[in-house]
Amino acid sequence: MAAVLLIGSVMKFAIALFSAAHAPSSRRALLFAQAALAGGHEIVRLFFYQDGVHNADSGVVIPQDEADLPRQWRAFVSDNRLDGVVCIAAALRRGVLNEEEAQRYQRSAISVEAPWALSGLGQLHDAIQDADRLICFGGA
Amino acid sequence: MPKSLLLISRQAPWSGPGAREALDIVLAGGAFDLPIGLLFLDDGVFQLLAGQNAKAVQQKDLSANLHALPMFGVEALFVCADSAAQRGVDTEVLALDELKVLSAQDITALIDRYDQVITL
Amino acid sequence: MSTLHVLSHSPFGDNRLTSCLRVLGKQDALLLCGDATYALQAGTVPFELLRGSGVNLFILAEDLQARGLHLPNWVEAVDYPAFVELSIRHDKVNTWL
Repeated sequence: MAAVLLIGSVMKFAIALFSAAHAPSSRRALLFAQAALAGGHEIVRLFFYQDGVHNADSGVVIPQDEADLPRQWRAFVSDNRLDGVVCIAAALRRGVLNEEEAQRYQRSAISVEAPWALSGLGQLHDAIQDADRLICFGGA
Repeated sequence: MPKSLLLISRQAPWSGPGAREALDIVLAGGAFDLPIGLLFLDDGVFQLLAGQNAKAVQQKDLSANLHALPMFGVEALFVCADSAAQRGVDTEVLALDELKVLSAQDITALIDRYDQVITL
Repeated sequence: MSTLHVLSHSPFGDNRLTSCLRVLGKQDALLLCGDATYALQAGTVPFELLRGSGVNLFILAEDLQARGLHLPNWVEAVDYPAFVELSIRHDKVNTWL
């Protein structure tokens, strides 16, 4: 069966996150992503959509005794040189802007910086086409 | 051969961004000529009611986006019979033409036919 | 073809579990994580529903432990590496967001 042949092969994952940093599913997504890399697999792209854009918000301040998901995501993407894309339409709607968009819309807060890139849903579709598996995290 | 994607839309039209943002994924996929299917399940069937008036609650009218689907090459449109029945939605009189009405078994087979699925 | 379905919402006052079970195929599997693990609270409707369903059922171990839930012998607990393997073993993953 095809499934038997796949185990042991390197799989390409596209991981999409739909919930904000404080949601348990955000942490779950990060742990899954870490396990995927540790298992020798590839992550073709991380795509943040809906409230998931908040994980890329550098303005989020987490108390010291709590898990800082935005910081952990940033480190994970940087350390592993992954492609971390934030949906621009979802981000704008939620006040998560990079320098270019902040200037365009004359907003004072710049909350998206490297390694995150703002881009369109085409990047999600592109990742789905490229990957062997799409896995979404969100909701609760 | 491009991979096919099934979007299962479960939210009522204005319960939050879910319905709108699910449609955006579908439209983007259609714009890129990808094989996309859209299934309305659970409260998602409420998106299909005729005679809605989004302006009354200052919300976006999604029916324009829904009607644009065939123009974007998205013609694989489905609605769950059980979800509609439970919610008193008559599948004969829906806002979208060319909607295939599916039983639970049909939906199992539908999910199987697609390469990827997103349930929003 | 088989699908790994993933649920993370509490089954009480939410219809994701019942909708999922309606469309689950015989080859499919179901992973409970987050508050969906409360479905394994003994003596509840979701518990009885799952027990009688014959579904290939998995639970994320950390969520079981966090909630002090008991693991029935008809459910398999998985860690993250096993979660990754499950996502590979099935042809696709359907998370009920």
